[in-house]
Amino acid sequence: MNKIDNRYKQLYKAHYPKVMRLCLGYVAGDEDLAKDLSQEIFIKIWENLENFRSESNISTWIYRISVNTCLSKLRTKKKNSRTIGLVDVPDIIEEHSNADRENQLARLYACIKMLSETNRAIILLVLEGLPQHEISDIIGIKHDAIRTRIHRIKNQLTKCVSNE
Amino acid sequence: MNNFEELQSDWKNQSKIEPTEQGFQNLLTALREIKNKQRVSNVILSITVIILIGFFFYISGYNNQQVILGISFMIGSLLVRMLLEIWSMRKLNKMNTLSNRADFRNELIGYYTDRKFVHFLWTPLILLTYVSGFLILLPLFKATLSTGFYTYIIVSSIMLLIFFSIFITKQIIQEMKKLERIQQG
Repeated sequence: MNKIDNRYKQLYKAHYPKVMRLCLGYVAGDEDLAKDLSQEIFIKIWENLENFRSESNISTWIYRISVNTCLSKLRTKKKNSRTIGLVDVPDIIEEHSNADRENQLARLYACIKMLSETNRAIILLVLEGLPQHEISDIIGIKHDAIRTRIHRIKNQLTKCVSNE
Repeated sequence: MNNFEELQSDWKNQSKIEPTEQGFQNLLTALREIKNKQRVSNVILSITVIILIGFFFYISGYNNQQVILGISFMIGSLLVRMLLEIWSMRKLNKMNTLSNRADFRNELIGYYTDRKFVHFLWTPLILLTYVSGFLILLPLFKATLSTGFYTYIIVSSIMLLIFFSIFITKQIIQEMKKLERIQQG
């Protein structure tokens, strides 16, 4: 393995979980689709790796590629979809058990699916814990505007998951 | 009620998303396949063009204007369609995934808006030219082929035309839906 291959492998190991989570959020929890999307993203990362300037944050760089690739691979077919819809998920009665956590996650996927494309990208980055200025940089919306938008989407999502 | 921090914690603690050696090897295979695919499509395209040009010169040897016209319409329309698709594919692949999402979104909207010209201007023109070429050749087919083979050519061509029309219509509907969703935000 040469230097670039090694660097690529390290990148893959370090960033795969966050890329995969983002993709799962985009395809409402469909693992196969998310894996395909993740692969597509890592191919783009490979193609652009030599252009990466080390003064910028590698995470932000990868998230940029990820949200743009997910947008360009937008799926329009709903037929035979293995993704989760809100009606498929039972209500959460007790909290903190494993089953309830799984249900809560499934509801979260279903609620994210209901958001607009841009709001979906924003909330996925928020869930990943990115600071607002980085989200603003990745999405290309001014910091003030993104702050109010995040607040609104967070409320919307929390209410949706709680079935309010 | 769930608070957002709780959702965030569940989000980050999702299972089954750890990277594996097999996953990385699959990725390397996919990278190699992309390079091979590009090489193979270039070779196929070059061979097709050489065969078509060779065939065209072979046919023009008969000095039959009707054949030349019919064949030129059919081959020309196919070539234009192929070139348009290759141009579109390259444009899509060359889009800058490193720009911010708003700029990338505008680039995508531009791409799908350009595709409208392909779908609603070029595609009908190409289909019309192809069918015209076929209709020009029909009297020659009738004169030189047996009735059975002539009927077979007509029926199979109509079926092929219907099949391609459905395929292209589906592609157009899908792309227009995509454009609509991207424009919605």
